Amino acid sequence: MNRLFAKKSFIIHIASFLLLPAIITCPLFAQGKSAPAASEAGNLLYIDKCGHCHGIEGAGDGDAAENLLPRPRDFTSGLYKIRSTESGNLPTDQDLFEVISNGMPGSSMPAWKGLLSEDERWSLVAQIKTYFDGFEEASRRVIDLSGKIPYSEESVAKGKTFYAELGCVECHGVLGRGDGTSAPDLTDESGFRSWPANMEHSWNFRGGSATEEIFKRFIGGIAGSPMPAFVSSFRLGLTDAESARIIALEDQDEMTEEEEAEYTQLEEKAYEYEDIMLRIEEGEEITHEEQNKLDEAMKPIFEKSWHLANYVKSLGREGRPPAAVGDKVLRSQYFVGDLPGLNDAAWSEIKEASYFPLVGQVVIEPRQFNPSIDSVTAKSYYNDNEAAFLFEWDDRTKTLPQADDETGETVEDAIAIQFPVKVPKSPSDPKPYFIWGGRRPVYLWHWKVSEPNKITEMNAKGIDKATVQASQSQMQVEGVYEDGRYRLWVKRALKTDDRNDLKFEPETFIPIAFSAWDGANGDVKTKRAISTWYSFVLDPVPSNKRFVYPPVVALISAGLLFGLRKSVRNREKLNQ
Amino acid sequence: MKTHVFTMLTLVITGMFAASAAAAGDDEAAESLVFPESYKAGSVSNGGTITGTVTFEGEAPAMKKLEITKNPEVCGVTDKFDESVVVGEGNGLKNTIIYLMDISSGAGFPKGAKVKHQIDQKGCQFNPHVNLIPVGKRLTMLNPDKIMHNVHIFSKENPPYNKSQPGSRRKMPVKAVKKAEGPVAVKCDVHGWMKAWIAYIPHPYFAVSDENGQYKLENVPPGTYKLGYWHEACGTNTESPESVTVDAGGAATKDFTLSLKN
Ligand code: HEC
Ligand code: HEC
Repeated sequence: MNRLFAKKSFIIHIASFLLLPAIITCPLFAQGKSAPAASEAGNLLYIDKCGHCHGIEGAGDGDAAENLLPRPRDFTSGLYKIRSTESGNLPTDQDLFEVISNGMPGSSMPAWKGLLSEDERWSLVAQIKTYFDGFEEASRRVIDLSGKIPYSEESVAKGKTFYAELGCVECHGVLGRGDGTSAPDLTDESGFRSWPANMEHSWNFRGGSATEEIFKRFIGGIAGSPMPAFVSSFRLGLTDAESARIIALEDQDEMTEEEEAEYTQLEEKAYEYEDIMLRIEEGEEITHEEQNKLDEAMKPIFEKSWHLANYVKSLGREGRPPAAVGDKVLRSQYFVGDLPGLNDAAWSEIKEASYFPLVGQVVIEPRQFNPSIDSVTAKSYYNDNEAAFLFEWDDRTKTLPQADDETGETVEDAIAIQFPVKVPKSPSDPKPYFIWGGRRPVYLWHWKVSEPNKITEMNAKGIDKATVQASQSQMQVEGVYEDGRYRLWVKRALKTDDRNDLKFEPETFIPIAFSAWDGANGDVKTKRAISTWYSFVLDPVPSNKRFVYPPVVALISAGLLFGLRKSVRNREKLNQ
Repeated sequence: MKTHVFTMLTLVITGMFAASAAAAGDDEAAESLVFPESYKAGSVSNGGTITGTVTFEGEAPAMKKLEITKNPEVCGVTDKFDESVVVGEGNGLKNTIIYLMDISSGAGFPKGAKVKHQIDQKGCQFNPHVNLIPVGKRLTMLNPDKIMHNVHIFSKENPPYNKSQPGSRRKMPVKAVKKAEGPVAVKCDVHGWMKAWIAYIPHPYFAVSDENGQYKLENVPPGTYKLGYWHEACGTNTESPESVTVDAGGAATKDFTLSLKN
């Protein structure tokens, strides 16, 4: 199956006569370093640093475990997600060392690299292994990465076809946002909710987003989770044409005698290879020749898999986007003419949306310790009269009002966009409390999926002290759900008659914050994802000097600009 | 920066409050069978049989119709029902495992090409629902549906198993295991309602009751044994097994009446 192993097994072949005992205790180079023997120091360090999550006996039942999802690993189960090894194998010592060092992004498992020395981390690897007997007996086979195909547009395009063909789409969805048709019902082996990864948010991949890591995850599977190993996706040892022929024969209602013979022959050919693979999985010895034969048969399969890995890689971005602070703050750009609607191409002219990270609301009961919405993005345009916003956030399921399985409360997907009622004069001036205000009130736009074309304006003086405004301003609203993403378009006049509304004025920094509810995650009322305060500002109204037009265009647009200036002046007059 | 501080604050707070339990995991591990410490397979002469009927006590609960949330064109052609309690003629209870708990030597598993261990996934339902797979024997998963399934076996004693079976693979062999265990759940995560059971058995003295609740253990060496049962919804009698005596060449009968646990 893999060249490294082939080498390994070759060495074993020679060595097995001479120094078998040494081989068994020797770390195999393909697997990286080996852990030292378990020690009392390792045990104490474990209890101190890991015990409150993973439990002092390693059973995943520490004090903090109850509130965490995914749950801290139960080390007595022998189930590990992040492995360089084949399906059904335990991780290597090096794998454990890496995962302890780097943590598991998107979960509460911290990275210990900066906090513990290398020796300390190795002592923890040894400690963790003591909780599961299997580590003593099991040999571990590492997935061969030697056939890596470099990233290219061509490879990505090929990989895209395998994404659908292999069935990634079933769980991860058409665009990879974790919204596949199987996604709503997934549970892990302990019966806890499990969500397929959102491939655009690849910074949340537990094992990191390097192409090699992606490759290892779907070839070897993610043990304990619903995500299967995909090494079994193709017939071994058959050409594509032969595979197609087998299927065609199987689909026939009846086979002639010759066809029967042809079918049996193809089946036997495939099984010859399959058998080698199965014997490896069953822990049997195979010969050097068999290993070579299998390696050869795996080549085309691995090739396709590298294309797929490149495709998955292409969906994500390097690292979490920077939050909307400093030069990333949400700027509403001045727009000449009518503001663009929800599906207007003008939105894509703003290359990078401002990014607002969300976290669980854990201050006020009932809390949300495991939010499923991790961010909202926004873009905005304004003209002389109005401002338009495009808010987007990923949610794996569209949840219309329904009773929550656990609490029975009616849940549904929703969002609230929050501003202070009174804009602070300077950034250092106090803002209202970030969770729906307090002494200083906030002004809210509340949107829910059951009324996708409506925003309810509210004011709040605390998370449970929100009131719907008696007079609702005219706002145009359009909210849609598509491929795992909500897109909410809102247009409002810059100034309204209501003094509890906020007025949008150019060049004033206006605090903005978000609350988001994912009905499928049990979010309702205080149980939700929230952001802290960020800022939003209308860019200065451009003076015509700023526009550098080619002469002809300039001539044509001169009249337009003239009209525009006039309308600005008119408005100013109006406002005085 | 601000967000950093905020996230850290959240972490600290998360650590401080112990409250609102997240969704409790439902335990996939049902009660287990009991296996002998060791088993010696050989030839049995003058073996006897044990037969009987498993009856469901009281009124049989109506079988719940499964909600087909996916691939209705394939999975929804016929109605599918939750098979955790299947009661037939005369309240006969299907899918009960009846077995000898304490046998330490007897026959080996039948050999030959005729003996096939396979589970069909036609129409997105596992069939049979309760499977006995000998330790050391491979299992074949059939997929006539031409859509993707994944074969996820919730082993505890044996290494984890979860592999994709794409629509293009009508048959997929599943590796043999080394240790007796189970019954463990087998599931398809792609079609969340698909669930069945596999018991990896170390000797042939296991039977699954049929739709009339009938079972038969054959070729049993003469002797007195503990007769155990396992049923997905009715539990086990591990604590107080039946005792059964089989005479040379004789026929013993033992019936069971089971009810839902708790
Ligand atoms: C704040 C809670 C927390 C603490 C403290 C913590 N962990 Fe974890 N750990 C987790 C969670 C949660 C997971 C599971 C994440 C997942 O499944 O996606 C995990 C998973 C792991 C895994 C499994 C990796 C895999 O491949 O599946 C290892 C190994 C691990 N932790 C080691 C440690 C060690 C060693 C320490 C102490 C130095 C530690 N953890 C401290 C929460 C914690
Ligand atoms: C049966 C559903 C299912 C299918 C099919 C599936 N996945 Fe996944 N996938 C998941 C789940 C669930 C997770 C999250 C696992 C976890 O961390 O608990 C996941 C996570 C991932 C991750 C993130 C790994 C990490 O480090 O966190 C990648 C990458 C991935 N899948 C790729 C794929 C590819 C490629 C395919 C198709 C070849 C695929 N998946 C098919 C369910 C699925």
